[in-house]
Amino acid sequence: MIRIRFSVLAICITLLLQPGLAVAAPYKSWTQLTPVQQEALQPLATQWDTLPTKLQKNLLHAAKRYPKLTPEQKQRFQNRLEKWSKLTPEQRKRAREKFSAFSKVPPERREQVKQMVRQQEAAASGVPPAAPAMSDK
Amino acid sequence: MNQKFHPEQIKQLLNRSLAMLDQPTLTRLRNARTQSLARYDAHSAAPAFAWASLWAEHRHATDSHRKSHYLAAAVLLVALLFSGAAYWHHTADRDVSDVDIAILTDELPIEMYVD
Repeated sequence: MIRIRFSVLAICITLLLQPGLAVAAPYKSWTQLTPVQQEALQPLATQWDTLPTKLQKNLLHAAKRYPKLTPEQKQRFQNRLEKWSKLTPEQRKRAREKFSAFSKVPPERREQVKQMVRQQEAAASGVPPAAPAMSDK
Repeated sequence: MNQKFHPEQIKQLLNRSLAMLDQPTLTRLRNARTQSLARYDAHSAAPAFAWASLWAEHRHATDSHRKSHYLAAAVLLVALLFSGAAYWHHTADRDVSDVDIAILTDELPIEMYVD
């Protein structure tokens, strides 16, 4: 009876740790990705296999939505991937926190900030301010 | 025949009759009484042993069932915890990915959010 109890306990602990183990285990190599995933994550093709597993997992989640993005959003996504992957986990966490905080700012205020950024980019690139920012590399 | 006897009188009559019985008859009566009492004791003791036996078996079975119930409850609890943990991990990952893709596709440059 005691042996059975230990077996059940061991199985239960293993099951509980499984989500954690899944994060620690190797995820997918570049060659294992689907064509859609490879298209979305193309800028990271050469370094994909060296990326931290957790980042790979997050990017694969994000890549699921890539086909539904507008061409403009796809362009931004790919332009920012490399920079995003080079951030430290702490920087990415901080960026998420800032983004979430900015999302709670009233829409008018957010629009003002966006307008200001457009003007700065226009001044830097020489393109009229009405054009949306396509690249931020 | 319709004469009424007091209980005490009946007792005296019986005692007098008993004194008039011969020794072999008394011996047979005593033996018959002893055998009868022996059968009565055996008969009344048997159910007590039977109940004791049944109670012991019931208690053993109850303990066994109780352990099984505890084990089943523990397994169910762990399964629920596992499901909850897995769901929490999945939801947390999805939330992070939603924010990631929003940052990567937002109109504002990524530098806005990076220290």
